[in-house]
Amino acid sequence: MNNLIIEETKYTPSINFDTQKGVFELIGKSYPENTFDFYKPMMDLVEEYFDGEEQEITTINMEIIYFNSSSSKLFFDFFDLVEEAHNDGKTIEINWIYDEENDSALEAGEDFQEDFENLKFNLVKK
Amino acid sequence: MNIDQLEDFLDDSGIIFLSYCGILTQNLISNMTDALEKETAMNNVSLSVSTNIFTIFVELSQNMMNYSKNTANSEDSFNPKGIVLVGYNEQNNSYYILSRNIVSIKDKSKILPKLENIKPMSRDEIKQEYRKLRRSGRDKHECGAGIGFLEIAKRCNAFDFKFNPLEDDKYQFSFQANINNK
Repeated sequence: MNNLIIEETKYTPSINFDTQKGVFELIGKSYPENTFDFYKPMMDLVEEYFDGEEQEITTINMEIIYFNSSSSKLFFDFFDLVEEAHNDGKTIEINWIYDEENDSALEAGEDFQEDFENLKFNLVKK
Repeated sequence: MNIDQLEDFLDDSGIIFLSYCGILTQNLISNMTDALEKETAMNNVSLSVSTNIFTIFVELSQNMMNYSKNTANSEDSFNPKGIVLVGYNEQNNSYYILSRNIVSIKDKSKILPKLENIKPMSRDEIKQEYRKLRRSGRDKHECGAGIGFLEIAKRCNAFDFKFNPLEDDKYQFSFQANINNK
């Protein structure tokens, strides 16, 4: 299975999805012009990855400084895919990394944590 | 054109920057956000307050951008000209983000009930509604006021809006959000 590497821009995060190691990283700001188009390659690969039996353990690290509402919706759909895989018996850990001075990023993480109670969703202070 | 007068007015109003143009582009929005980041860093605005300013600014400008993209091809004669600005109110120690653009009567009928619904909500109610809507997958596409206004409401201390009627079933839609600089 391929890896996915997308460089960071002023308005989109860097995406680094190492399917061999089972490590997924998303770092930066997220307000693309067309959110669903931008994240489509990532969402497709995530789906393909969880459909297969590639890795025992998957770690997801997300450090999103700020994001627009369509990104928020997309992250929700992303965690929904992760939850499905979790329900299928996969071991997945999510680290939501935030700056301790950024209350909004913490709050966003807490909301996702509450929405996906079944997942191992850690709030990690930077 | 008297640029001194314009500058005095901008200074007196605490306007940090303003865009008054035909069509907003993603590049323009991101460059303005960049400038805004530098401005808030220079003034030692906390990360909490500044990310709320950026998010609301991005949300309002992308709304306007998408709106003009979607209506540019319609048969209606459409004027995409709009204003978006960010300012600082020294008296209240608060930042404000203001947008104004022209919308059709049809879009007014979509936006107005959403805003009237959100306006009286408490912070907690806004949060619950936001999560409910995000979960439900309604208004899934980014164009159109889905959870966008809830995102804004969540991140400001107060907001206000008005629709001024123009001719030909058009309205001038103004929106302002205030953020206290804690």
